[in-house]
Amino acid sequence: MKKELQTVFYRNLWKENPVIRQILGICSALAVTNLAVNSLVMGLGLMFVTALSSFTISLLRNYIPQRIRMIVQTLIIAAYVIVVDIFLKANLPEISKALGPYVGLIITNCIIMGRAEAFAQKNPPVLSLFDGLFAGLGYTIILLGVALIRELLGFGSVFGYSLNMVNFTPWTIMVMPPGAFFMIAIFIWISSNMMSKRTEKAKLKKQEAK
Amino acid sequence: MKKGYLYTIVFMFIVALVFTTVLASVNAIFKSRILTNEQLIEKKAVLNAMSITYNDNEIDKLFANIEEVKKDNLVYYALTDGSNQIEKYAVYFEGSGLWSTLTGYIGVGGNFKTLLGIDFTSQNETPGLGGRIEEEWFKVQFKGVSISDLPLTYGNGIDAITGATLTSKSVMKIINDTINNQVKELEAMK
Repeated sequence: MKKELQTVFYRNLWKENPVIRQILGICSALAVTNLAVNSLVMGLGLMFVTALSSFTISLLRNYIPQRIRMIVQTLIIAAYVIVVDIFLKANLPEISKALGPYVGLIITNCIIMGRAEAFAQKNPPVLSLFDGLFAGLGYTIILLGVALIRELLGFGSVFGYSLNMVNFTPWTIMVMPPGAFFMIAIFIWISSNMMSKRTEKAKLKKQEAK
Repeated sequence: MKKGYLYTIVFMFIVALVFTTVLASVNAIFKSRILTNEQLIEKKAVLNAMSITYNDNEIDKLFANIEEVKKDNLVYYALTDGSNQIEKYAVYFEGSGLWSTLTGYIGVGGNFKTLLGIDFTSQNETPGLGGRIEEEWFKVQFKGVSISDLPLTYGNGIDAITGATLTSKSVMKIINDTINNQVKELEAMK
């Protein structure tokens, strides 16, 4: 179990990171990453929904009829998203107001359905729970990374606190949607580079061993 | 695993029933709290529009002197002073922004000469761009602006938001429309 957890962790956070390796959930990654706070809340919401929907789908995996499995998945995901939405409205009205429609749009995030189809369908509940949680974490980390850079360059602030940099001209482009495209592309570029270097090294080692 | 039609239908029915029940109960538990939150947002917006400073725990006390009036498409709050003179108005507005409907209040002095402030109760503009109309620096610009010279425009001490031209324009249009219609109507009634 421990080893399986490690594999799941490594796979979701790096090797098959939903955003930069599988290019999933890009829509929301572009939309909410101009402020770090929005990205954090969005990420936490997604972690909660992915973990619990993976858990539930895995629990029901032997009972869900194949031909309607996607309808059932969507229903479960939607239910959890509505819970998150109601919870935010009741307990954190300010943040709920700031995120506006994005909470509801968690339903359409491909990562959740992706984990449900690719993992929770075939694996036990607890492992699926962690798989969902780590997939959400992988998404959150990338979003926060992109958001910190965009917010810093676009507004000169970090988590809403202005750094009061002297002679600093905000890069408006970073706050606009193209800024997110640039940043995510750079992240993907760096990760692909590191990934291919690692596989090359592994190849060389194999050849030397021969 | 092959399963019959009846099983599929019964299964879907049960799953839908269970989750609907869960959602309905969660909604019932938090309903009153959400309503209180929404009313609080409304009340705070009215006070902000009238540019009254307040503590969170004295809001209800302040509302003892504020009366809500609804007349067809004119909705406003009026603050009366000690001698029953209306001192300030907060007029409700609703208009389209870039993506969403903007709702909120603009405050007008009892003599209908200046704006006291503006606040939004709901907006779904792009967070970080159009969504910045909620920020204090943007709203404070409308404080004390004379409304004898219409239409109001950007420049002359009121800045639009960089990167959110369309939302900024919509806000200005909504303010002008509200002054031209609701506020004028209110003035004529007096």
